[in-house]
This record gives sequence, C-alpha cells and structure tokens, in this order.
Amino acid sequence: MNNDKYLSIGALTRYLKAKFDSDVNLRTVFLRGEISNFKSHTTGHLYFSLKDETSKINAIMFASKAKNITFTPMDGTKVLVAGRVSVYEATGSYQIYVDEMLEDGVGNLYIAFEKLKKELAEKGMFDQKYKKPIPKIPEKIGIITASTGAAIKDIISTIRRRYPLAETYLFPCLVQGEYAKDDIVKKIKQASNYDLDVLIVGRGGGSIEDLWAFNEEVVANAIFECQIPIISAVGHEVDFTIADFVADLRAPTPTGAAEMAVPNISDLLNNLNQLKIRLNESINNRLIKEKTKLKNYQNSYILKNPMMIFDSKKQKLMLYEEKINENIKQKINLKRIYLKHIADSYIFKNPKMLIEPHRNHLDVIKETINKEIIIKINYSKEKLNNIKKNYLLNNPGMLYQDKKIKLKHNIEKLEVVNPMHILGKGYNIAYEDDKVIKSVSDIKQDSLKLCFVDGFVYTKVEKIKKENING
Amino acid sequence: MAKEVKFEEKMQELESIISDLENGEIDLDESIAKYTRAMTLVKECDDKLKNVEEQISKMVTENDEIKDFEIEKDA
Repeated sequence: MNNDKYLSIGALTRYLKAKFDSDVNLRTVFLRGEISNFKSHTTGHLYFSLKDETSKINAIMFASKAKNITFTPMDGTKVLVAGRVSVYEATGSYQIYVDEMLEDGVGNLYIAFEKLKKELAEKGMFDQKYKKPIPKIPEKIGIITASTGAAIKDIISTIRRRYPLAETYLFPCLVQGEYAKDDIVKKIKQASNYDLDVLIVGRGGGSIEDLWAFNEEVVANAIFECQIPIISAVGHEVDFTIADFVADLRAPTPTGAAEMAVPNISDLLNNLNQLKIRLNESINNRLIKEKTKLKNYQNSYILKNPMMIFDSKKQKLMLYEEKINENIKQKINLKRIYLKHIADSYIFKNPKMLIEPHRNHLDVIKETINKEIIIKINYSKEKLNNIKKNYLLNNPGMLYQDKKIKLKHNIEKLEVVNPMHILGKGYNIAYEDDKVIKSVSDIKQDSLKLCFVDGFVYTKVEKIKKENING
Repeated sequence: MAKEVKFEEKMQELESIISDLENGEIDLDESIAKYTRAMTLVKECDDKLKNVEEQISKMVTENDEIKDFEIEKDA
C-alpha cells in the first residue's frame, strides 16, 4: 500500500499558509467592520472578530501593536483596521493580524440599542405601573428559550430542585440569528394561549450580536403585550437587553430566573408549619379567653345573689305606690274643698231664689191663656146663635120634599114592569117543573103549569105547533 | 369540571383566616368554623408539599402538541 499520497493535516495547512502569505493582496488589507467577541488577554494581546452585515473574520492584535490604540475597543465598536491575512496553523483558520485599528464612529448596534431604549422609555413601556406581579407559588411555568444549551438545563434543574411541584412547559425557540426575533415573538404569542402562571424568556450569555434578538422592538412589544407575567433572563449578570427593561421582572441569569419564579419547597413547609402553630395558638387563646369570661360571669355578684335583681325593683315599686297614694289623697281633698264651697253658697241655702223669677213669668202666661179662652168661647156662642136662626133648621120638611116626589114616580115605573101586573091584562105564564117556558121548543113533557093573576091551572099538552107569531 | 383551587390561594386563605382569628373580633361560633376550615387547608397544603411527584417537563411544539421533554444529563 502506497501511503505517500496521504498528506498530513499539518502539511496541508502549511501549504495553504504559504499560498496566503505569497499573495501580495493579503499582505496589506484594509477592513471596515464591527468588533465582537472581544477578549483582552493578560499578555496584552487582543482577540476578537470583525463583522459586517454578511461576514465575519477572526482577528488578533498583538500587544506590541495594541498599545498604540487610542480608544477602548469593545463589542460593537465600529472600527477601521489594517493588517495582513494569514492562516493560524493550530486551528486551521484564517485570520487577520491587525497592525492598526481606528474607531469608525460609534458602533451602530449600540446606537440602535440606546435609541430604542430611549424611545420605549418615553412611551412608558418600562414604567413600573405596567409590571405584572409574579405569582409567589406558580403551578405552570412556560419557558421560551432554545431546547438545547445551558439555559434550559439551568432553568429546569433549578425549578425541580426548589419546587418540584411546578409543571414546566418549554416553547423551543431560536435565540440568535436573523430569525430569532420573529420566533421569540411567535412563541410568546403561542404561550399566551396556555394557562400559565409565569413565563421565563431568555437565553445564556453571548456577544452583543448573539443577544441582539432581545434588543428588537418587536420582541419588546410582544413582552409588553403578553398577559402572562414574564421574567427575562438574558445572558450574564452585566448584560442588559431591551427585553430586560420591558419584562415584568429581570433575572441576571437563567438560573436566577428559575429561582425568582418558584419558591423553595422547604421554605413553604416551614411557612406552613408556622401557620399551623399560629392557628392553634390563636384558637387556644380564644378559648382560654372565652372560658375566663364565662368564669367571671359565673362568679359575678348578681348571678350569685339573684334576689338583688328583685330588691331594686321592689324598692321602685314601693316608691310608685307611695306616689300614687299621695296623688289620690290630694285629688280627694281638692274635690272635698270644692263641695264645701258649693254647700256654703247663698243659692244653695236659698233655693226659692231660683224659682221666684219663673213664678212671675208663669202668672203672665196664665193671664194670657185665660183671655184667649174667653175670646174663643164668645166666638163659638155667636156662631151657635147664627145656626139656630137658620131657615132649614126651622123647616126640616124642606129637606125631603123632593125625595118624596121622586119615590112616588119610581114606584109608578115599577108598577108598569111588574109581571104580575101584566097577568091582570089577560096574559099568563107557562111553567114546566117551575121553569118559565119562553118558547115551544122548551116544552119537554106533556104537562104544564099556567100562572094566572089569581091562581094556577095544571094542564096537558095535546099538540105543539111552531109558528112565527110576530112575523 | 371545577378548577382546583390553586395552592397559592389556599395559603392566602389560610393566612387571612389566621389573622382574623388572631384579631379576635369574630364571635366564637364563627371562629370555630374558621378554625375547622383552616385545619382542612393546612392538611391539603401539607399533603401537597409532602407528596411530591417529580413532574415531567413538557415541550409544546409549533402545532401545539405537548410532548415529554427531558434535559440532557450532565456527562
């Protein structure tokens, strides 16, 4: 087997390095970019990256060159650098060896950060009045962070250690890169639909670029509008993001967020025990108090001497009795005095005085009546005399002379219509069984009774011939 | 289904009952009723804290599916 065609990595790297170093274009390079991942080594060498919108390059500036820098470089500083590009054999990465570095104005990201912070602060989005209280004992906790990495591990293990009763719900999320901000917003909105007591939003530490999503206005708005209280946990203690300012509570680290989110179960147990003790003491104290009160009542003078209650009433009753008697006596005396006064009065002693005036009046009435009677008697006497003198009274016959003539006339009239009177003129009346026969048709038997003016004839019917006599 | 009263609410009720009892301004019958209620709360809270079952973490997917989620154990 021929192994000669296999290169060592060192050989390849050396080859590449030689290629870089032989390129005159790479010997002096001028770059414009932003510092990130800045680290200052104790030796005085500076290690950092330079980046712009599209790319990134590792950079090193040796202490001998770095001492000439006129500003304090840090993450986000926009700089202009000059140097050569070569390959670092140990890592096989190309990098720029910076000879000179100038500040290119102020870093854009910092400007953007400060600008947004000022804007949102003016809108009042950081105001304490909008901060929702974090529940003391949450039961369901939402976590918005990457599903891998230290942050989620720290958060979940801390919650389990302190308060294993809590349920944790992870909403896995991009936390860096250009899609991170939209994903964070999306996950906050999604988590809002769940019945969660508190939300932890964050990620572990990193460069300002890594944390940048948490400085975006859309993320700030989503945190501000979320109805669930949010604890932010971005980066390390010193890193502050816009998200931290707008969140209801800011935790320095993900572990810190978990500690703020849940209580310690042993503290809760202690607390509960304290409450139990207080509860029993309070009810015992109350019972002792009530018992003492009851004993005091039982020992009270009035309960031990119940007749006392009547004594005072009795006294009052007597007092009333006396008062009533006194009153009645007084009334009787008054009436007695009045009576005596009446009895002693002149009128009472001379009752005739009362009659005298009426007697005179009576005499006047008597006299008047007598006069009236005499007048009435005289008038009646005169009337009687007049009547006596009347003609009719002296000739009473006058009264029935007329009646006598009328009577005589009526008797004559009666004479004319008397049937017996007709008998005298030759007529007679036929009877059958004492019934007057008015027509030949009335005859039913063969014997008739004929009445004459001076007696009756009993006869037999021989023949009946009906004829119209008047016609 | 009636929602279970939250642990925190139970603790708050417990504390308010105790301060009522400590004030001593409520009458005895009510005090005893409150004490009985407080004892029930103490027992419920105590049971909850002492009978801890390890909760399994959940992960909510984009489609609102809820899955079990376990963090990577340290090596």
